[in-house]
Amino acid sequence: MVMTTHEEKMRTVRFRVAATPHIVVNSDICRASCSIHACVYVCPANLFVPLDDGGILFNYEQCFECGTCYIACNQEGAIRWSYPDGGYGVTFRES
Amino acid sequence: MHIAVCLKHVPDPSTVEVDPLTGLLAEDRVLYMLNPADESALELALRLRPANGTVTALSVGPIEADALLREALAAGVERAARVWDAELGPLKPALTSILLAATLRVIGLPDLVLCGGHSADRGSGTVPALLAEQLDWPAVTDVTRFEITEGRALAQRRLARGARAESEVQLPAVLGLDTERIRLRQASLPKLMQAQHAPIPLYSLEALDLSPQDLHFPAMTLHEVMPPRPRARIMFAPDATASAQERVAQILSAGIAGKSGQKVEGGTPEQQADAIIDFLRQHGFLEQRIAS
Amino acid sequence: MSVATASEVFDVIVVGAGPAGSTAALLCARAGLKVLLLERGEYPGAKNVSGAAFYGSAILNELIPNWWEQAPVERYICRRDIAFMSSTTSVALDFHCAAEGYTTPPYNGFIVLRPRFDRWLAAQAEAAGAFLLTSAVVDDVLRENGRVVGVRVRREQGEIRGKVVIACDGVNSFLAKKVGLQREFHAHELSLGVKEVLGLDPAIIEDRFRLSGDEGIAYEYLGAITEDVHGGAFLYTNRDSLSLGVIGQVSSLVERRKRPYELLERFKAHPAVAPLVRGAKLREYSAHLIPESGWTMKPTLYTDGMLVAGDAAGFCLAAGLYLEGMNYAMQSGLAAAETAIDACRRERYSARALSGYRKHLKQRNVSTDFRAYRHAPAFVNSARLQNLYPEVVASGMEQLFRVDGSAKRKILPLARQLMRQYQLKPGELLRDGYQVVRAYLW
Repeated sequence: MVMTTHEEKMRTVRFRVAATPHIVVNSDICRASCSIHACVYVCPANLFVPLDDGGILFNYEQCFECGTCYIACNQEGAIRWSYPDGGYGVTFRES
Repeated sequence: MHIAVCLKHVPDPSTVEVDPLTGLLAEDRVLYMLNPADESALELALRLRPANGTVTALSVGPIEADALLREALAAGVERAARVWDAELGPLKPALTSILLAATLRVIGLPDLVLCGGHSADRGSGTVPALLAEQLDWPAVTDVTRFEITEGRALAQRRLARGARAESEVQLPAVLGLDTERIRLRQASLPKLMQAQHAPIPLYSLEALDLSPQDLHFPAMTLHEVMPPRPRARIMFAPDATASAQERVAQILSAGIAGKSGQKVEGGTPEQQADAIIDFLRQHGFLEQRIAS
Repeated sequence: MSVATASEVFDVIVVGAGPAGSTAALLCARAGLKVLLLERGEYPGAKNVSGAAFYGSAILNELIPNWWEQAPVERYICRRDIAFMSSTTSVALDFHCAAEGYTTPPYNGFIVLRPRFDRWLAAQAEAAGAFLLTSAVVDDVLRENGRVVGVRVRREQGEIRGKVVIACDGVNSFLAKKVGLQREFHAHELSLGVKEVLGLDPAIIEDRFRLSGDEGIAYEYLGAITEDVHGGAFLYTNRDSLSLGVIGQVSSLVERRKRPYELLERFKAHPAVAPLVRGAKLREYSAHLIPESGWTMKPTLYTDGMLVAGDAAGFCLAAGLYLEGMNYAMQSGLAAAETAIDACRRERYSARALSGYRKHLKQRNVSTDFRAYRHAPAFVNSARLQNLYPEVVASGMEQLFRVDGSAKRKILPLARQLMRQYQLKPGELLRDGYQVVRAYLW
């Protein structure tokens, strides 16, 4: 089908999940000084979940490693990221 | 102590797509990986290896399987060997076990063979036992943990319905592992580079001194593979006239009520058979199809 | 294929096996240098996404004559269609070209799928003698007396030495930032592309898009297709699938609180697009950042012992009419390789010795193109061009063609009415006209 939900999109992508997260969100900073939560909207994999207390819950396992969250975040130090270990993470087959 | 580990390259389940029309695998979309249970077995073998011991990685498969043997070499095994022959058709557990046993005989029998208990693709879990049969060694399957002391393996096994058992066998032996997932260690850069172009010895049927008769194993034959087509079933739905509380209770019971049944009594045998078939149809055990 | 060990010193270490890295490695290896090509993915291309329209056929043809005969290409581009969209209407410029070099070798452009294409290209570098190592993430460079003398791979004993390091590690280039050649980017300088590959029968593709054989078409969309987000959309025909996607400026996605994949769904549902994608089935979803601001985000391109090329150097031309990255990646990769070859020949690796990179970039028309179009990205991403003008054009055409029994209006009165309706001021129009001239004409 042409129109798909986000879950259906994500099921077409292959991830080899590394043992340790390559992106770490410091929720204390989100709680203390962020009101816009840009990461929640821009992440193409929809991996950032806002919590009631203003914090951010993050799941690194289905990350495209695009870096958008880091660029969009306006809070110094809230998102720390690097690439996952060699051979791990997203593996595109056709794109 | 010399340990051999059997590795299989399997399709990553998240990349497997079956064409609904043809029932065939979309081959160009599949990515292969080291079978997770075998990855655990390999890492355990490396941890178990004593100072003067060796680990040999074996795989039966086409050239693509070299990738995972290189992975094993990079992680630190002493030796890798691949078994393949253009003559070979689709692999079945029995054939795989014959090839593995023959290879071990040619390259030197180890003291211990570790296998992942089940592969992510076929998953029959029979190779460890069949291999032990070929070698005439003891086998312990469904092993969750084990230790080796003084030439004996003491293994804990996971049995059906949560039962546990302990088995002790004399080495040499084959263990089929059903441990938790253990990740393979990360290879160092020098080892990764070294393994990248390391030659992987290939054992053909000729090298193993096997003839076509030797590959015959009186077992089942695969005639056809068909995609599963689930039958329509009657889903449980709560009684709409019941109170909310009763309906919640009904939903929570998932339709399971106490055993109930009806006796089919009287009438001719044909009528009795019809009554049973009707019952099965009504409850979704038989397709609601009227034979013409 | 060469055999190498970690203890030796390489002449050149290339980080990243994309189009920039693999062409750089290929050229260096052909010059007889000892080359290590490092890739963090399971295979080259595993992390890479673009449209992907590749307009660098002639460049690659210099290196590998008739490369398209052996490479995994989808279709050659003989048609381009640029459409201005409102929510209901589309006004398109349809370019169909059968001229020499478009539909005949070396072909002007190809549509490719990156995981397959990049893997093939890296294999060519390998065949030329480069040592390709996959599953190797580079975290940092090695420095001695302030000079870059190698890289650190995130593995045990991961230090490896090279005389010249060429960083082709993509838009997020951690290396260029570590060394201080690149600053952190701002959200208005980068765009996020989300993409889908949709499977479709080749016979349907040829029928629906009026193509025959290996012909392909590239559609590009501007205007309301991304709603009020600054960006655009594309649709390319592959052999047995379509590649389509939406590109949105990161800052504007944030401002408008738009989820990129929802824009993608609405793009597919647009009345001008829906019939093109009907019946297609999703095969893969992906996303990637695009360094859209071109010349303005250009880093310092070299330092002692290191060069930067490809997306890592911001060599991606997103200027409305042009949406080109892979060709500039290759051209800059080649320029970097030429610089590294000179350096190795003279055995001098200081920043001064590597400053010839600028000359090579100019000779390969990279810096000249980016300088010439330096004003275009900002203009393309301006609010008026993004949201206002496509709407005005679409609405104007809609009124011009509407027949409902009322008197026909000539174009001038209609234009006056549109100016009133959209509150366009002559001064602003003049200024934007000047912007177009400055960005594109001279």
